[in-house]
Amino acid sequence: MNPSNALIINDHPRLTVFWKGFKKFWPIYCLVMPAVLWRFIYTIIPLVETFRLSLTNTSLVNPGRFIGLTNFINLMHDDRFFSTFGVTVYFTITATLLETALGLVFALLMTQKLRGQSFFNVALLIPWAVAPMLAAQVWRIMFYENAGILNEIVKMLGFHFTIPFITDPNMAKVSIVIVTVWKNVSWVTLIFIAGLKGIQREIVEAAAVDGANAWQRFRFVTFPLLIPTTVLVLLLRSMGEVQTFEQVYGLTTGGPGAATKILALYAFERFFQEFRYGYGATVNIVLLFITVAIGGSFAWRLYRSERM
Amino acid sequence: MKKDPTMPFSISALRISRPTMPFGVSALRFTRTTLVYLLLIVVIIFLLFPVYWIVVTSLKTSGEALAYPPSLLPKAPTLDGYPYVIQSWNYWVSLTNTIVVAGFSALIEVILGGMAAYAFSRATFPGKSLMYGFLILSMALPWMVELGPIFITYNKLHWLDTRAGLVAVFVAGGLPFAVLVLYSFINSIPRELDDAAAIDGCGWFETLFRVIMPLSTTASTVTFLLLFISGWNEFLLPFILTVTPQTRVLTIRLMEYPVRTGVNVIPYELISAGGVLVLLPLIPILILSQKRLIEGILAGAFK
Repeated sequence: MNPSNALIINDHPRLTVFWKGFKKFWPIYCLVMPAVLWRFIYTIIPLVETFRLSLTNTSLVNPGRFIGLTNFINLMHDDRFFSTFGVTVYFTITATLLETALGLVFALLMTQKLRGQSFFNVALLIPWAVAPMLAAQVWRIMFYENAGILNEIVKMLGFHFTIPFITDPNMAKVSIVIVTVWKNVSWVTLIFIAGLKGIQREIVEAAAVDGANAWQRFRFVTFPLLIPTTVLVLLLRSMGEVQTFEQVYGLTTGGPGAATKILALYAFERFFQEFRYGYGATVNIVLLFITVAIGGSFAWRLYRSERM
Repeated sequence: MKKDPTMPFSISALRISRPTMPFGVSALRFTRTTLVYLLLIVVIIFLLFPVYWIVVTSLKTSGEALAYPPSLLPKAPTLDGYPYVIQSWNYWVSLTNTIVVAGFSALIEVILGGMAAYAFSRATFPGKSLMYGFLILSMALPWMVELGPIFITYNKLHWLDTRAGLVAVFVAGGLPFAVLVLYSFINSIPRELDDAAAIDGCGWFETLFRVIMPLSTTASTVTFLLLFISGWNEFLLPFILTVTPQTRVLTIRLMEYPVRTGVNVIPYELISAGGVLVLLPLIPILILSQKRLIEGILAGAFK
């Protein structure tokens, strides 16, 4: 023991605590900090900067000055923004619900103890591994109006009309949902398959012994046990859908007109095409708040159900 | 035979009734199984038909790709579209960019994520739940929100249009997922092994390198592959942060339609060939490691 060291330690109790803590924990912080700091630099700092930008009129040519809430007031008078907002809400709800419902059905079908599990795995993994931008291009070819395969199928089914998949405003809204559902339903299915396999078989068999038919077994036994999985899927998917950009950009670029202009695309145009950084940041903050609101509402539900 | 009072009916009665049962049951099961299979075929077609369709379209001639009615199989299969796309996209450069960016970022993510996951799993330290919570909750932040300031900063630092800058953003994006997946794996390694290593005099780092890492090669590989695939498919980040053709990755190339000179139609067969060129390198990974990949996907969703 070095006496001079002991002197310092006795004089500065706080320093002692810090030094002891540092001596004890420095290897841990060496392990954790690279990941945490890297993530911090690329998320929290841009986030703060976005809030700052939203209070200025910065653009590519304008270094910007503080203008208070002017951007937000302008946003409230921006009709295009509100139409975008409506499209986003519609898209998020439709795509999330469809994905979840279809994913559940697919998962129920694929867990029926049939042969070919590894084939099902590959069939599910392929759409999952298709880039969203590629999914948009693939479906664009199939949506093609004059000689596209989908319209040919419609004709083969005996209908005498062609569906204007991406040229009609209302149909285009459906088309972006179709692409998104195709892209994401595999993931949902995989999660539900895992959820279904986690349910103890004895419980379902007990219900069967009690005389419950297949629908009753699903409605009163399997589905209640799947609710945690369903909530997780709804949470993660709706947070994913609300920030969708790539499928829409690749398929319609927001058109025809602004029929499929989704919030992320609107922010992208303001920020990276018009270079209105201040206004773009304001739109981004709305996007952020929607995402946080979805996440928060689910977290609140989870918190309440755990307390009860 | 004496009647057993506890049995409502005699065993022999059961035996007699049995031969009639299998027929009824198997007929019932047959129709039900058939129905499930039929529905499954519809599901599989829904999932795989789009991919089948670009493969088929890419093998058609430009006339047949636009012809009406569309043919389900190419009449005269040809690979003519591919060399054209490879040349017009500068495919090999873009492929190298994609592999370098996705590969390096996945590697860094696995290393840093594994280190953090190990610490989160084994140690208690001040700020642990705060840091873990931050990593997980920050996954909810939309990229679009982050990218604006990142773009402005990169522009000032002259990091735009560099592969290193792109890798840095990719790493930030993939770290939470890497931590989640590796945490769930490392947490399942018995602590007795750590204790044994500690008795032998291993510190934190030695335990990580000598005990945990050798045991988690499979988990790390799977995490690497998942992150590699997601990096391969990323569009938004390279779309905003790269400018020149030299740094373009494959997903960005999908936006450029290779047009044949002198032909004024949408070249469906070339777009399809491009799509196949983007997807094809991933298919062996999917087929060879399907089960492990699914385990990894699940570990990333359920924490």
